[in-house]
Amino acid sequence: MRRRILTTTALVAGSVLALSACAPSASSGDTEAESGDDVTLTVWSWRTEDVEAYNAIFDVFEEAHPGITVEFEAFQNTEYNQILTTGLAGSDGPDVPMVRAYGQLQPNIEAGQLEPIDGEVEGLDEIAESVLAGAKGKADGKTYAVPLATQTLQMFYNKAIFEEQGLEVPTTWDEFIEVNEALLSAGVTPMALGAKDDWILPIFADIVGSARYGGSEFEQKVLAGETDFTDPDYVASLEIISELQPYLTPDVVGVGYTDSQIQFTSGQAAQFPGGSFEIATFRNQAPDLEFGSYQVPLPEGAVLDAPVSPAYADGNFAVNAKSENKEAAFELLNWLATAEFGQLVADELNQFSAIPGVTYSDEVMQEAWDNYEQGQAPYLLLVDFRYGEPLGTAVLGTEIQRMFLGETDAAGAAATLQTGISQWFTPGQ
Amino acid sequence: MTATLTPTAGPRGSASTPPDAHRRRRQRPTVGGFAASTFLWLYAAISIAPLLLMVSNSLRTTQDMAQNPLGLPLPPDFTSYQKAWVTASFETYFFNSIFVTVASVVLSTAVSLLAAYAFARTRSKMFTSLEGLFLSGLMLPVYLAILPLFFLLDSLGMISNLWSLILVYAALGIPFSTFVLAAFFRQLPIELDEAARLDGAGPFQTFWRVHLPLVKPAIATVIVFRFVPVWNDFFYPLILIRDRDSYTLPVGITRFFGEYQTDWATLFAGLTLATIPLVVLFLIATKQIVSGLTAGMSK
Amino acid sequence: MSVIAVPKVRSKRVTTGVTLSRRTGMVFVLPALILFAVFIAYPLFTALSYSFFSWTGIVRGEFVWFENYVTLFTKLPYSTDIPNAFLHNILLFVGAMVFQNTIGLGLATLLHRVGRFKQFFQTMYTLPYLVSPLVIGYLWSLMLSPLFGPVNAVLRAVGLDELAQPWLGNPQTAIWVVVIVTAWQWIGFPVLLYGAALGGIPQELDEAASLDGASAWQRFRSVTLPLMVPAIGTVSVLTFIGAMEAFPIPYALGGSQGNPAGATDVLSLLFYRTAFESGASNAIGTSSAIATLLFAFIFGVAVLFTVMLRRAERNLT
Repeated sequence: MRRRILTTTALVAGSVLALSACAPSASSGDTEAESGDDVTLTVWSWRTEDVEAYNAIFDVFEEAHPGITVEFEAFQNTEYNQILTTGLAGSDGPDVPMVRAYGQLQPNIEAGQLEPIDGEVEGLDEIAESVLAGAKGKADGKTYAVPLATQTLQMFYNKAIFEEQGLEVPTTWDEFIEVNEALLSAGVTPMALGAKDDWILPIFADIVGSARYGGSEFEQKVLAGETDFTDPDYVASLEIISELQPYLTPDVVGVGYTDSQIQFTSGQAAQFPGGSFEIATFRNQAPDLEFGSYQVPLPEGAVLDAPVSPAYADGNFAVNAKSENKEAAFELLNWLATAEFGQLVADELNQFSAIPGVTYSDEVMQEAWDNYEQGQAPYLLLVDFRYGEPLGTAVLGTEIQRMFLGETDAAGAAATLQTGISQWFTPGQ
Repeated sequence: MTATLTPTAGPRGSASTPPDAHRRRRQRPTVGGFAASTFLWLYAAISIAPLLLMVSNSLRTTQDMAQNPLGLPLPPDFTSYQKAWVTASFETYFFNSIFVTVASVVLSTAVSLLAAYAFARTRSKMFTSLEGLFLSGLMLPVYLAILPLFFLLDSLGMISNLWSLILVYAALGIPFSTFVLAAFFRQLPIELDEAARLDGAGPFQTFWRVHLPLVKPAIATVIVFRFVPVWNDFFYPLILIRDRDSYTLPVGITRFFGEYQTDWATLFAGLTLATIPLVVLFLIATKQIVSGLTAGMSK
Repeated sequence: MSVIAVPKVRSKRVTTGVTLSRRTGMVFVLPALILFAVFIAYPLFTALSYSFFSWTGIVRGEFVWFENYVTLFTKLPYSTDIPNAFLHNILLFVGAMVFQNTIGLGLATLLHRVGRFKQFFQTMYTLPYLVSPLVIGYLWSLMLSPLFGPVNAVLRAVGLDELAQPWLGNPQTAIWVVVIVTAWQWIGFPVLLYGAALGGIPQELDEAASLDGASAWQRFRSVTLPLMVPAIGTVSVLTFIGAMEAFPIPYALGGSQGNPAGATDVLSLLFYRTAFESGASNAIGTSSAIATLLFAFIFGVAVLFTVMLRRAERNLT
């Protein structure tokens, strides 16, 4: 009986295989080899918000490079990693995929799915080291992609509310606390934070604490093994979060990220600690909102002597190792490393380009960028501590939630972070 | 709907039940009855509240929602519907969804009916283990199977082919459907089969003429509970379909989810449109279920 | 769906000539079997086998026996996450049995008695099932939002201020929100299935019992309930499997980390973030191990339960 089942299954499998020969072919005929004829490059991304903008951007490229058509396609962000992995593994993948930066890039590199681009693309040396690091393989140090954007972290504030309350952008820590106190007494939520969504919390931690624990100085020491996250300066930076809890919405762990955005755009909250990626959202949701940003002033005992904007590279463009149009793909990549594209990123996408020499017509963006250039730091956990399991950002996010709930304190959170990271991190690499 | 074989206690019959129920109800308007009604209505209201929220928000703009999350849609704004229809290529995706869902549910229900009949009416250990094997398919975490499935279909050149979705969904429906249908088949008294056999019917005729009509409510239930998850599934088409023209509705709808901002109004409009066929199907199916129950099935 | 009033006299052994022969049975099962074998059994066993290898991305490495399983119980974050998530899965099951299936049975019985508007109510109760998982999380988060949500607003309006909590922000209440929302979505299933089962119970039995002077509750307990055992069993097994594999609703309400602070974490979420969101190169190996363990557990319990159920069914008839 079992044998009969097996043979029947084999027969069916065989016939399915035969049938598949008559199955309609998958994609719409962009399988020309590089023959100098028209080439269609498929570009994949998770930026569904930007589809129209990218189509406009690539129109510019197509004009300058006749013979190449670029097809841009965006997929849901939460499923993108899986879509990309299967796409790169299968026969139907993109030519130029947008890929994540730092740790989440590594599985694709280690599986040999991406083509190294050192030497094939010009202009990479103009890009900041820390940004380019997001496009490199951790193991072999080769570059696999052209960075797309930089995101900076800072405190956004509602200009209208500040004016109403007679407040000015704080330049010292005491002024910062005063501003928050004033807002609280005026019945305005001083800072909007969506603590229910854990990923925003390490961002908050670095915005208020990076200067306290020492920004890139601290980063170097941790990577070299001279200290770790139980360092008193780092613990002190986490204590700041507890200090600031009164200025957040009560029961902040129940507030979601989208809720916090609404709080800010509707004027219920006066400040919003967030990334530069928020600018496009705020402009979209509340075009009349007048807002600006500033770097949180130095708290007491800060290791650094000037405020900073933590930052990280966000998104890169790579080449599929299985692509049949590599020549054209590299042409595109070279263009993506030019200031021309960088300017388009600024103008059409409202993002900070990774390419230097770009000007931002949006004044909020220019202000944030200027602040960043004056004081830079890495968004530590995202940049260096997502190369293994558990992710540094995930651990700290959960720990800060627990801090808000009163289940742990700064020292405990730091210790848990250290334990989590030491599962895979060995200093001195 | 014929229930021709009635070996035992008098037919409940379609004629007698509804008047009975009405009579009983009119005779006893008890406090218990009133409380029961209240409970039923109250729960019904709770049940559909989020749905109403979804439809109400689809008639506003996302900006409006960003200012005032729970405002009323006054005046109602239908631009989101237009945008959803165009951006999500509704005509194409709608058709694809219907094709995939109907085909897979029909296929899955058909093969499951046959298998469930066998499970209910055989005695050997082998079938018990087969039934267990089918049930184990229910325990398969959906996301786990995606990689092997992808490679299997890729090697067969069936990526971006709607038929691969149909076959996968049909297969995924088998465990649940056979489990439920077998339970209902088992409840049919063996005397029915004996009587049919005496009438000269073979196994398939017994299945077709006797058993099938008697489990119609169960079939309708199974169809609803397979139709909905297939219709709403976005994960498999997202991974297995690359050709834009072959996308199903949910995939088109995921386009409205951005990384940091979501176009809620358009999303809700798209979803409201996508939910309408489900409601229609459900109304038809429940009519089947209710009429099946009151038509004096299986005696 | 009915059982004859005098079952003990007829023995189920009088079945010669009526039960299907192996051969006929096989013919009936074959179509489903083939479909199942190719598209479920094969991927299932392949995926389970992944757990015995080490991986770099999607490239399979060497055979490592049970190393991935050992990792699950010895290394962080798995060694703490797994028990936590498992506990929540069990809570989901208990919660579903208590809320979803009990209320479902109650609703089905009420509908059966009341009779009018039956289809309307059935539709109302099953409509939540039709809502796409894509937005369930958002809709409920909005409704339960401490800032903007109507639930808290209503509670405050009727004076129940203390109950107006950050439902999804409080680890104590968050998991119960998941239970309630799951029940909300799935209640149509027991209502429909129990409704179908109730419809198959002959009225004469009920009437005979009431003539004997039994109260409504007594009738329910001694006449209805025993005859519902097969249906209850079916629903229970499916609920168990659903609770152990719960994914869309916990994900929609708490995100992939099981916010807040892991209070809504379930095994499928752990699988999902290990497989798809980690930066580890052995993601496939570890996540397959999680899935295999989950599968083995569900399989064991479900088989056990079904065996016990069949035995109970046979004893009843």
